[in-house]
Amino acid sequence: MPMIEPVPPKAEPPPPLLGSWNRLYAVVVGELLLLLLLFLIFTWAFS
Amino acid sequence: MSRLDWAVLIAALLFVVLWGLYKGRGAATGEGYIGGGRDHRWWLIGLSIVATQTSAITFLSTPGQAYVDGMRFVQFYFGLPLAAVLLSITVIPLYHRLKVSTAYEILEARFDLKTRLLAASLFLIQRGLAVGITIFAPALVLSVLLGWSLHANILLVGTLVMLYTVTGGTKAVAWAHSSQMLIIACGMLLAGIMTAHRLPAHVSLSDALHVAGGLGRLNVIDTHFDLHSRYNLWSGFIGGTFLMLSYFGTDQSQVQRYLAGSSVTQSRLGLLLNGMIKVPLQFLILLLGALVFVFYQFHTPPLFFNPGPVKQVMAGPDAGAYRALEGDFARAREHQSQVAEAYVTARHSGDPATIATAKGQLQQAHAASEVVRKQGVALIEKANPGTNPSDTNYIFLAYVLSSLPVGLVGLVIAAVFSGSMSSMSGEISALGATTVVDLWRRLIGGSQGQREVWVGRIATFVWGGFAMAFAEYAARLGSLIEAVNILGSLFYGTILGIFITAFYVKRVKGGTAFYAALVAEVGVVACFKFTAISFLWYNVIGCVAVVALAWCFSFAQPAEVQPCS
Repeated sequence: MPMIEPVPPKAEPPPPLLGSWNRLYAVVVGELLLLLLLFLIFTWAFS
Repeated sequence: MSRLDWAVLIAALLFVVLWGLYKGRGAATGEGYIGGGRDHRWWLIGLSIVATQTSAITFLSTPGQAYVDGMRFVQFYFGLPLAAVLLSITVIPLYHRLKVSTAYEILEARFDLKTRLLAASLFLIQRGLAVGITIFAPALVLSVLLGWSLHANILLVGTLVMLYTVTGGTKAVAWAHSSQMLIIACGMLLAGIMTAHRLPAHVSLSDALHVAGGLGRLNVIDTHFDLHSRYNLWSGFIGGTFLMLSYFGTDQSQVQRYLAGSSVTQSRLGLLLNGMIKVPLQFLILLLGALVFVFYQFHTPPLFFNPGPVKQVMAGPDAGAYRALEGDFARAREHQSQVAEAYVTARHSGDPATIATAKGQLQQAHAASEVVRKQGVALIEKANPGTNPSDTNYIFLAYVLSSLPVGLVGLVIAAVFSGSMSSMSGEISALGATTVVDLWRRLIGGSQGQREVWVGRIATFVWGGFAMAFAEYAARLGSLIEAVNILGSLFYGTILGIFITAFYVKRVKGGTAFYAALVAEVGVVACFKFTAISFLWYNVIGCVAVVALAWCFSFAQPAEVQPCS
């Protein structure tokens, strides 16, 4: 068995959109933060 | 159910089974059967991941949860996108590079056989029990509300799932998942549109949301830190992230879905797709529950949605008292409807003082009807000692059966069946794979050819049979069912701790991780038995305990550590 080491993202081919994995991860985390903000507004607006 | 409903239900179920059988044909090797040929595209992986975690009871219970408790349950999923990103960076490339078929293979390479078998066994125990509940719980709801036989229901779901899962393996499961997600999405979307449409004509969506919000049903975010509160921002982000890391990173029912990807890129995109759609999806399902709540502000609901325990009360000495309460409740709800109408009218007037007064009156009317409902629940508890006095799982389907049009009822029930089948198929497929790869192939030394396909089929069939047998037995378990449901959180933290130790704590050797996991598991069970800490935190406690104990124990082991190579 080879060494168990996490492979750095740079060693992988880029995703088919956005050009790099880090950008794609930022979109996923950014969407979560945006949803959190919208949920806070939603809770506040209708409470 | 009408003939049209039956036709929709039968057509949907036939479509799922035939589609799964067709797409899953032709597995010639064990790797093809268990790994699905490793040629899946990202969208198929993403749908399969979502379908595996969307059980029917989640689907039935989530709108009911919004009805009873509001929308804060969505916070449970806040850790999921973070976990999807972390796992995409760390374990997905690793699993692909090592060409493993199950997550637990890695533990033998890093530690030893007994640690691998410990993790695989924990998975087989908790998932093996949970899969029975996965089919029992929705079957119970359907049998109570539709009068169908519980046994026939379990037998039907189990047989349909086994038809394509046993024959086609991972590939059949993934393709059937795509058709099940289509049915679930159509059913929920149309139910949501129809619910909004069935509100009184002068009640706009904005009015409906203000009614729900005014009565505390749109509390999506709770920022208070409380270890005993089940769902808040902090338990969702911290506990939820640990739970999701363990579920998606080490639970074979999920790992198997993305290991079927044709490349690291496809597996990552599939998992990230799930990370992006799960939170809004849960929000929409909860919003549907909130709309059902608003619907019942203008229509009188039953005092208790589960007719089973009500029959028990009506057969006993408290029947008269319960009937009187039903009358009180109907009158209270009629008054509440009038007050809700007045609130909507006040909102249209635009005068802040009038709106505030009408809102206060609505809250008072709701509190008054809830007092009557609680008295009804107390009578139900008295007549059914030891049973769960909650009707959350029954609210949505009772609403569907009484209020949605012909045809859509059949589609929603098909969606319930699809949810039950999608999680059962993903789970028994993973149980079969773990049995073959971690037990049969490793301990008996079987080949990966056609013989292994048949061993895989037998293992999957046996686990499917076990699930159905346990589902039959579950009716006698009573309150133990709740314990089975939180079984996952009792084990997930420990399993995640073993994997994190494997990846990041280099000085720890095999035996050390094994014993640290055993001690940590005892600690988690002690927390469950002797504290009131909410279950999401068990994932954090178990994981941190394994890593910390393994690190401490490692000072008592020989200093030189051999890396696995």
